[in-house]
Amino acid sequence: MADFNVRSDSVNVEQIMEQIRTRIREKRGVDYTEQQIRELAAVKLEKFLDPRGVRSDLLDQFRKAQPAYEPPELPNFAFEDATLFESHRAPIQWLRKLLLPILKLFFNPNPLIQALHIQARLNTMNAEREARREAARRQLDQLYYELIHNLVLETTRLGIDVKNLKMRLESVSSRLEFNERRARALESVVVYKPSSVDEERPPRPERGDRSDRGDRGERGDRSERDRGDRSARHQSQQRQYAPPPPQEAAASTPSAVAASPETAGALAATPNQQGAAAGATPAEGPGQRSRRRRRRRGRRGGGSAAALMGAPGTPTGQTAESGTEGAAPLPGDDSEPFDDGGDEAGGDDHAVDAAPAVTTARHDVPAEPVQPAAPPPAQHASPPAPAADPLHDQGSAPAPGPGNGDTDPQ
Amino acid sequence: MKIAVVVQRYGSAINGGAELHARYIAEHLARHADVEVLTTCATDYVTWRNELPAGVETINGVAVRRFRVRHERDPRVFAKRSEKVFHHRHSIGDELEWLNAEGPTSPALVDHVAKHAGDFDFCLFFSYRYYHAFYGARAAAGRAILVPTAERDATIGLSIFQPLFKSVRAVMYNSPEERAMINAVSHNEAVPGIVVGIGSKVPNSTQPNRFRQKHHIRGPFAVYVGRIDQNKGCTELFDYFQEYVKDPASKLSLVLIGNSLLEIPKHPRIRHLGFLDDADKFDAMAAAELLIMPSYYESLSMVALEAWAVGRPVLANGQCDVLKGQCIRSNGGLYYANKAEFIGTLEALEQNRWLAGSLGRNGRQFFRDQYDWPVIERKYLDMFARLSKEAPRPAADPLPGWFDRRRQDLPPAEAVLAQLPTGPAVPSYEAAGRRRA
Repeated sequence: MADFNVRSDSVNVEQIMEQIRTRIREKRGVDYTEQQIRELAAVKLEKFLDPRGVRSDLLDQFRKAQPAYEPPELPNFAFEDATLFESHRAPIQWLRKLLLPILKLFFNPNPLIQALHIQARLNTMNAEREARREAARRQLDQLYYELIHNLVLETTRLGIDVKNLKMRLESVSSRLEFNERRARALESVVVYKPSSVDEERPPRPERGDRSDRGDRGERGDRSERDRGDRSARHQSQQRQYAPPPPQEAAASTPSAVAASPETAGALAATPNQQGAAAGATPAEGPGQRSRRRRRRRGRRGGGSAAALMGAPGTPTGQTAESGTEGAAPLPGDDSEPFDDGGDEAGGDDHAVDAAPAVTTARHDVPAEPVQPAAPPPAQHASPPAPAADPLHDQGSAPAPGPGNGDTDPQ
Repeated sequence: MKIAVVVQRYGSAINGGAELHARYIAEHLARHADVEVLTTCATDYVTWRNELPAGVETINGVAVRRFRVRHERDPRVFAKRSEKVFHHRHSIGDELEWLNAEGPTSPALVDHVAKHAGDFDFCLFFSYRYYHAFYGARAAAGRAILVPTAERDATIGLSIFQPLFKSVRAVMYNSPEERAMINAVSHNEAVPGIVVGIGSKVPNSTQPNRFRQKHHIRGPFAVYVGRIDQNKGCTELFDYFQEYVKDPASKLSLVLIGNSLLEIPKHPRIRHLGFLDDADKFDAMAAAELLIMPSYYESLSMVALEAWAVGRPVLANGQCDVLKGQCIRSNGGLYYANKAEFIGTLEALEQNRWLAGSLGRNGRQFFRDQYDWPVIERKYLDMFARLSKEAPRPAADPLPGWFDRRRQDLPPAEAVLAQLPTGPAVPSYEAAGRRRA
């Protein structure tokens, strides 16, 4: 909502309201009232039935168009036992009755009378049944019509719902994309400084506090929203995160570096391994590498750096036991799902915040280039403090840093 | 100059809208004229029970003369007569019976006005809908000035009030919407009138941090000030706000100030602080990001004006013409007509600080230009001066006779109300023909 086109010198509430309404329409689609939905449905159905006219009182019109059912007057006859001998002239009727026994000498009229009587009854029954059926069918027709009417109504409503949901999905997607872009933008303002890893490792707890404060200060400069969203969303992940800087992995095996200069040279020729081959390669500017890719490679290299370097007699386990926190597979394990699953979303922030060996610098500060300076030999010789770090002893526990900034060390 | 202020209730502990309005006006006019308040002994606007002694007392330097109410309101009778006149065809007699049932029926007050109206230059009658204003304005004849404090409800559709609006010397409106509504129902355009409204006792400085510390409130919040009642739109407010806070980007809480008549939802972002004194109220407004005014019916929202006075934007119910009109005229607030607009506008005010600040500044300027006390006082005094120069208007027609009172030829008041134009009285709306009948 921060992109209103209003001039600073004159606020026009009606204009702002128009913009808000337009935004709502764009965001949620058109909101139909129940009445509008009914009208829409009625119009559609009416068009289906009779496109020439549009009437909203569809059901009433339909009922009016269907006249009330009256069963047709079907021809029938009544046939009783005396029907054959009836006459409007009484003497003739008497004479026929008198001569009936004589007639019965020639043939028996009773079955004929009986059959015709039954037929007459059947005709009546059929007519009644047909009338009932027709009435029921017509009632069902009306029900079907109403049902279809309601179905059209619901279909319209569902269509609108689908449209609204699509709009919301687009909105959420755009928000997600924005967050990803923001995360990448935040990534681009921080760089690794591999040399400082080794230089600053011995006083690590202090440095952790300092970087904690620094990062927290920097984070404090960020907008409220940024803090709220990210810290709330990833707080738990931050607490479990331990920095897996690849440089530490490389630095933790100085003997490997020293033992295989060819490999070191090869690594120097491979830009991917520049961080590992500290001192063998020139400095990288902040824009030269995608930080995420470096982190991934670095982490993968955290466990396999020694193997890559081909350091004989330096197994991975030994690297882990050498006391460097980043070389241990545990942090890598901890961060792996984080990195893989949500690297764009915010994993990099955690890496920046949590890694004590990483310094943050902005692009507009040229005095902070990435300087993969060669670590002092003393540090190579003696593994730094993490062995004494109780957090490190716990393996997956995070190092103190801004990632845990919610728990103030003081 | 001697002025009488005639109002249904009066006292420093009475905080009803029209009553507070009358008290403020009386106390401020007392600096320029000899003011006497004529009122009843009642303090409860539902029963009109005589709770204060009759006679004269002084409140904040203003003489107050009280008169007894003859009978309390019978809710059953009042409801029955309301049903008749609001929803059915009826007679003038029915409307007069409704007026008697509504109260406060104080013939002693009306008699006093009739006897002593000549002692005053002008008599200000507050709230057109009550007994004292209807009969008192007729009794005061050419000295009556009406402050109608009319809301958009069915009472305005009763026919007995149309002659009242036309017979008084002048009408002091609270808002252009009120003026448009009364003009439409009574065609009293010839009666001198002006939109005045009312000011407020806004402190010179506020202490938002003190309020936050006192009530342990952190983070940004929106404030609602007033009676927490369904009639004030609070149920809708709770519904909308709970929908709003589902958005994870929203940080606002809702702080409610005022006595509650309904259950407040238990939500971590909704806080009810109860009734607070004026200092706390203004500190709360200053600490808040904005004021929310969800009421559907307002004659003039003093709370909105107070929020503007301390430079805070207002989010108002756009279905209340007065509030919407105030927001548009002041450019000091936004308004909503449904849940989506509520969320959209609240989001805009929360996330766009520049917008909220600009609206607040505009609101403050609007308050200073229109509702600061010197402006209000000047409008009253100018009206008195104008009326002093003009010839008095002819007295109101006498009430209809026995047969005319019983003629059942009046439409329901609701139907009359439905015919009145709606919408904010702002030029853009009128130009676009959006004030609809």
